[in-house]
Amino acid sequence: MSTNLDELIEDTVLLQCSVNGKDREEMIPPCTSLLDWLRDDLRLTGTHMGCMTGHCGACTVMVDGRVAKSCITLAATVQRKQITTLEGLKQNGALSPVQQAFWDEAGFQCGFCAPGMLLTATELLQENPNPTDDEIRSAIAGNLCRCTGYQSIVRAVRAAARAMEQTKQP
Amino acid sequence: MSLHPQYARPRSAAQAVELLGGLGAGAVVIAGGQELMPHVNYGKLMPTVYVDIGALPELKGIREADGVVSIGALTVHRELQKDALVQKALPLLSYAAGVVGGGWQVQNRGTVGGNIVALHPLYDIIPPLLALGAEVEILAARGTRRAPLAAVIVETSHGLGSQALIVRVLVRATSPGTGWAYEKLKVTEGAYGSVNAAAVVAMDGSKLSAARLVIGAVAERPIDASAALKGLLGRPFDPRAAQDFETACASLVTQPMNDQQGDAGWRRAMAGVVARRALTAAVARATAR
Repeated sequence: MSTNLDELIEDTVLLQCSVNGKDREEMIPPCTSLLDWLRDDLRLTGTHMGCMTGHCGACTVMVDGRVAKSCITLAATVQRKQITTLEGLKQNGALSPVQQAFWDEAGFQCGFCAPGMLLTATELLQENPNPTDDEIRSAIAGNLCRCTGYQSIVRAVRAAARAMEQTKQP
Repeated sequence: MSLHPQYARPRSAAQAVELLGGLGAGAVVIAGGQELMPHVNYGKLMPTVYVDIGALPELKGIREADGVVSIGALTVHRELQKDALVQKALPLLSYAAGVVGGGWQVQNRGTVGGNIVALHPLYDIIPPLLALGAEVEILAARGTRRAPLAAVIVETSHGLGSQALIVRVLVRATSPGTGWAYEKLKVTEGAYGSVNAAAVVAMDGSKLSAARLVIGAVAERPIDASAALKGLLGRPFDPRAAQDFETACASLVTQPMNDQQGDAGWRRAMAGVVARRALTAAVARATAR
């Protein structure tokens, strides 16, 4: 292999990205998942580890405003992206409308799926401010909840949509 | 060579292919990682080098020229679903991308190239692409070649070899008036299908003049239902024809899968049912204009 190609192969990766609005620059092992980096290195433990196969959605974060499962995202591949975790949802130190609605409507029981549900609901409402129940269920299809039967979660997303509609600036 | 996995980010597709050519079989290509990472997490795969192709410009973007839509291999399922050009020119593909399992998270990260290379029998993208007669542009050290997707997926090694890349997927735009449908039999939203079927039809009045239908998720490889369609062409598509088609499709399934999505006998029976539903829906769409 020619020398210049050899130079492309790195033992550690310089990861530069933004996490919850804060710029980060760290050397990481190439095999680090985004989940491990957030939880172990940055101690952002609101991102939960569940199945590690991409089925359960507990590890959901946002990459450039779009939800992703951090357990099946290689950290090195989010170079120069904006990452949002549960910890980044709060607005001016208070719960976001989606978080408040989940609190008010008991949109969780054990809470393990809650971070992922909150982030997916946030993307849904950014894209579709007034979703039907079917659209809500379809959007959260990648997030498993074993407690609620999804009833209170759907109700919470509906309540969040109403709250966001009411506070919308004219 | 390091004892720990290494990482490389080539700057061009040609450089990626050259790099892959010089690395051993332990090197893996990564973009969205949706297929690769579960295998890594469970220790089924221990890559020596991750070759990150996620930023390669040649593999990005969707454009149309001379009636052919060229889709970059890095296009994610959500883009296929929402892109105005794909919605208009390839509505079947756009729809199927929206029912890919794993939720929005997987649809936001999983790429069309990765979906093809995964060659997973339960995935949703290959059947519609086959029904649409898609071709793929493949880059290897010896240059670029263009091949029908149907030919590329025949080999278990997906016919690419570890040193080649899918650069783009090329699909002729569906002509106006074409009927299409994608049916997926699944237990819950977000789940794998137990059977799926992609159909494209052209009608001449009430008669079926041309049709392609591909059945997926029922056998290791997608099943082209052309043989079952033969007797239907040039005839009105009525309930009797639909029933004949269902029976013929079920008999095409000689080696049904037997897994968590359902046992073999049920899969074979449902293959006929789902194929009939897809063809019926496609005909209805073509005649509803």
